[in-house]
Amino acid sequence: MKTLRTAAAIVVLAAAARTEAFPAFARKYGMSCSACHVAWPIFNQEGQNFRDNGYQFGHGKDDPVQLSQAYTPFAIRITPAYQYTRVTNQTADSGPVTVVTSGVPIPPGADILTGGVVAKDISYLVVVSGFGEDGTASLESAWARLDNLGGSRWANLRIGKFELDEPASAHRNVTLTYGYAAYGAHPAGSVVPFDMGENQVGVELDGHDARSTTRYSLSFTSVNGGEGLSKNGWSSPMVYGHVQQSVELGNGFLPWIRVGALGAVGWWPTKFETATDADGTPQPIPGTGRDHEKFYRAGAELSWMLGYPATPALFTVAYLHGHEPAGLAETDPGTGEDLSGSSNSFNGGFIEVDWVPFSVSSYTATPWLFFARYDLVRFRRGSGDTDGGTLGIRRYLALGPRASAGIHLEGHLDRVRKAGFVDTNGIARDVQTRAALAGIDFDF
Amino acid sequence: MICSSTLLRSAALLAALLAANAGATPPNPAAAARGKKAFDRYCISCHGVAGDGRGPTADWIDPRPRILTSGVFKFRSTPSGTLPTDSDLLKTITNGLHLTFMPRWAPITALERADLVQYVKSLSPRFVDEPQGQSIAIPPAPSFTPELVRKGKDVWDKVQCAACHGDTGKGDGASAATLRDDWGFAIRPHDFTSGPLKVGDRPEDLYNAFMTGLNGTPMPSYAESISPEDAWALVSYVRSLRKGGD
Repeated sequence: MKTLRTAAAIVVLAAAARTEAFPAFARKYGMSCSACHVAWPIFNQEGQNFRDNGYQFGHGKDDPVQLSQAYTPFAIRITPAYQYTRVTNQTADSGPVTVVTSGVPIPPGADILTGGVVAKDISYLVVVSGFGEDGTASLESAWARLDNLGGSRWANLRIGKFELDEPASAHRNVTLTYGYAAYGAHPAGSVVPFDMGENQVGVELDGHDARSTTRYSLSFTSVNGGEGLSKNGWSSPMVYGHVQQSVELGNGFLPWIRVGALGAVGWWPTKFETATDADGTPQPIPGTGRDHEKFYRAGAELSWMLGYPATPALFTVAYLHGHEPAGLAETDPGTGEDLSGSSNSFNGGFIEVDWVPFSVSSYTATPWLFFARYDLVRFRRGSGDTDGGTLGIRRYLALGPRASAGIHLEGHLDRVRKAGFVDTNGIARDVQTRAALAGIDFDF
Repeated sequence: MICSSTLLRSAALLAALLAANAGATPPNPAAAARGKKAFDRYCISCHGVAGDGRGPTADWIDPRPRILTSGVFKFRSTPSGTLPTDSDLLKTITNGLHLTFMPRWAPITALERADLVQYVKSLSPRFVDEPQGQSIAIPPAPSFTPELVRKGKDVWDKVQCAACHGDTGKGDGASAATLRDDWGFAIRPHDFTSGPLKVGDRPEDLYNAFMTGLNGTPMPSYAESISPEDAWALVSYVRSLRKGGD
């Protein structure tokens, strides 16, 4: 657990860049990115409704047989950027050290995406992501969805690996350094790898009204990282639900607000059959997990647009409470306290604003985006309390109906309590991270 | 730069309003100014920066996007040759047009859609020079009986629908390949055997199309040549052409 935070930072840096921005849809329909995104990659209402409909507008031009055979539903995104990360109080033989990594990672993070509909009301998405220096890539998303079951937009069934329906999408957020801290928060020493921002494997039933003002999502998945662990009928099961309701206020100052609530209950195995490896270490055998303990998350959200909706400041405030019972934690690496016999919980969330100050009469209609976010997580006991701030600017160079690109500048600062070098008195030091990114977000 | 161009445009619009002909219902300047922001964001890739239908996508989509500067609109509830009502424009923006690349913009706010109507009006001087049309009256639909369908076939033959739409309504009539719109672009007659009309799927939408025509296309209005009863009979026959019939 005492892994270098630097390594984690680099991983997060790459992971946060893996978003499902998809200019192949712009090419398919001849529409600018700005038609469906407040600012690419954040959805506006049109984009949300398009996604909710199974990547369909329903105007008779969705089905591939209506399109030129030259159309290929593929997109690629890369984010070549200078990245700087400075992390304090890392453990070294000589004592606490500050670790600095900087430069342009080669190759930069890349995503290859394909998605859309194979026929009316049958949609899919596959995202291959990563492509690290060791040549590895991962399947970030891979799902198929039966849309409008029984002719009702309230019944859509998705199966595969997909993103949970979240207050703010972890895969369509604009920040490239760090993701939403609360989504991946765990009590210190937790053995549960659940991260709400990571894609989960399972099935989802979702629905919405004609304008996606009322939406719901109910997912039944395996806890990410727990696929195949336990021996019951569904390995490491989790139920996740999310509802949203937006209301139009009909004015240009506060035109739109949205409220939502979410909850997740998961079960994680605490005992396994083991097989001792060559080093003499007992290793748990997948498919033998048992004696599950239940953990949960619950949260609420409030979003609102300030200013004219075509050039808005979009605010999102999300609150998340997490609880994990006794038996799902080991020793707190920060304090050395044995947490296995006690439950723990946290409260966290974020406030984010994404501001499009004006539009212009060009094919890059909304050339500027300013964004800021504050993340906060507080644990009832143990280490890991987090405060983080992210600030940035995007200058879109292209947002046309073919491809998009933007210059992205971002700074990040956070402090995690008692997460670093452990002093002789057994107490870990706080870790402060500073990160900066300057590059081009390129999507074709 | 942006502020000054917006001011100039607003001033020009205001001047045009002051010169508006009696009976005209020119665009609301404040709403049109707001609507321009929405137009920039949502519309220009097809309709073009100036609304002239020459956006970068225009050459690649079929049918081509409307040339908004012309003030000529196919889908209206108003008599042939007249300007559409605000409600007509709002309906097209909100519901989109089936089998075209005009999506439904219902998900965006009602405020933006209403402002877009005013901005679209500001793109053509016709809305300053002449009054918008009045929606035609649509009498209540009769029962669609086999007898009415047969009568509708007689109307179909009388007004020579088959010349463009073909004997079976598939849009493959003898002159179909030669049809052009007012701007010289090839245009295909509607295939009545499958799918809804571009503008809607209610019987009233068909009736409206027969009696108002599609401005800027070879599809005329039959308001002067057939009675409302005959128009409903034609609606009945055309709906019977769809696979499975009505």
